Amino acid sequence: MWLAFAVVPCYVFALWKRPLLYLGLLLQLTYLFIRGAALERLPLVGPHDTLTFMSAAIVALSMPFYNAQKRQAPLLSCVALLAAVFTIFALVSTQHNAPLPPVLKTIWFELHVVLAFLSYALFGIAAVLGFLSLKDKDPYFELLQYKAILVGYCLFSLSMIFGGVWAYLAWGTYWLWTPKELWTSLLWLFYSLYLHARLRPWWAGRPSAILGIAGFGVVLFTYLGVSLLMKSSHTF
Amino acid sequence: MLLCTLFLLLLAGAFIMPVRGEFQKIHETPMLIWLKAQPLEITWWLWGALIVLALLTANTLFCSVESIIKKRNVTHWLLLISPQIIHIGFLFFLLAHLFSSLGGYRYYAGAREGTQLDIDNTTALQVQNIQISLTPDGYITDWAVDVAFVAGGKVLQQDRLLPNKPSIFGGAGIYAKDFRVYPEKAVLLEISREPGARWALIGGILFMAGTITLLVLKIKMEG
Repeated sequence: MWLAFAVVPCYVFALWKRPLLYLGLLLQLTYLFIRGAALERLPLVGPHDTLTFMSAAIVALSMPFYNAQKRQAPLLSCVALLAAVFTIFALVSTQHNAPLPPVLKTIWFELHVVLAFLSYALFGIAAVLGFLSLKDKDPYFELLQYKAILVGYCLFSLSMIFGGVWAYLAWGTYWLWTPKELWTSLLWLFYSLYLHARLRPWWAGRPSAILGIAGFGVVLFTYLGVSLLMKSSHTF
Repeated sequence: MLLCTLFLLLLAGAFIMPVRGEFQKIHETPMLIWLKAQPLEITWWLWGALIVLALLTANTLFCSVESIIKKRNVTHWLLLISPQIIHIGFLFFLLAHLFSSLGGYRYYAGAREGTQLDIDNTTALQVQNIQISLTPDGYITDWAVDVAFVAGGKVLQQDRLLPNKPSIFGGAGIYAKDFRVYPEKAVLLEISREPGARWALIGGILFMAGTITLLVLKIKMEG
C-alpha cells in the first residue's frame, strides 16, 4: 500500500519535475501488478482498483499527446493534477479483496472493464486538451482533443459490445434497463453527438472544445455518480 | 438535432427510472407490453425516445444513400462506405432492441437435485446434479449444474451449466441465477429467450468493423 501512497507526491511534484510523472506511473503500475498477483486476478473491482487503474491510464495514454506538440508543460501539469486527484480518491476508497464471484471470471468481463477505463482515461485527456485549447486559444489542442475522443469512442463502443456479449452469456440478455446501462448509453450518445457535430464547420473550435469538456462530466457521473448515488446491480 | 433530442429524453429517463418502483418490473415482460401497461407520466420519455429513434432510423438511411450518391466518385471507396457500415451496425442494434421488446420471455424456477421442471407441453428439464465450491467464509467460488432435457421418457440433450456458459435448448437459454447451500443444495434457474441477441451481435460486428476501418484510414491520412 505504501507504493500507492508514494504515487501522490510523484504526480504532484511532476508539476515542476517531469521525470517524477514517469516515476509515479511506474510505481502505480507496479502497485497494480503486485495487487493483481496477490488477488490472482485483474485488480479492477471496486472504486479503489478502478480509480487507481484510471489514474495510471490517464498518465500512460497522455504520452503520445505530449510528443505531438512543442509546448508540453501545460498538458503535463494538467494530466499530473488529474492523475493525482484520482489517486487520492483511490487511496481513501475501500479495497475489495473478496474472491471474485464466478460470473466475473471470464475474459469478456476483463475486456469490458479494461476497455471502459481506457476510454474514460482518453475522455479525461480530451477534457484537459479542450480546457487548454480554450485557455491558450490554440486550435491544435482542439484537434488533439478530437483525436483523443475518436480513439476513446472506439474503445468505449467495443467495451459496450463486449459487455453485451458477457451479459448474454451470464444473464440471458445483452441489455438491461438499469441506471448504469442507461447512463452508459447517454455517454455513448453524447460522444456520438460530439463526433457528428464536429463534422459541421460551425461546431469546430470553441464549441467542440466545450462539448469535449462537458463529456467528461458525463463520464464522471456514469462512472462514479451512478455507483455512489443510485441503486444498480451494475456498480463500478 | 435528433441525437440531441434523444440524449435529452434519455437524460430525463435516467432521473425518473431510479425513483419509480414500476421500473423494477421492466424486465419481466417484453418491453413494449410493459410500456403500454404503465402510466404516461413515467414513460413519456421512453415513448419519445422510440419516436425519435424511428425518425433517426429514417434519417440515417436517407443520409447514407445521399452520401454515397454524392461522393461516389471519390478515389478512396473505404472512406466512403465505412461510415455507412457504422450506421448499418447502429440500425442493427435498433432492430435487435425492437425484436427483444416485441417478443422474448423470462421465467424463473427454483429446483433441488432431482427436480423436473416442465418447459412446455412435451419437454421437461431435469436438474440432475448441483456442485458448489465455497471458501471457508462462505463465498461461492465456482459452481456447476448438470441438466437433462427429457421428452417422453427419453433424454434429448444433456448439458452442464457453468458460470457464463448457459444451456441452449429450442432457442431458449437456461441460466443458473442463484444458489442455496443449506439445508440442501438448490438452484434458481432462469429460462429465457432473447430474440434480438443475434441482431445485436451482427450490429456490433458491423459497427466496430466500420469504426476501426475509419480510424485506421484517418491515422494513415495523417501520417
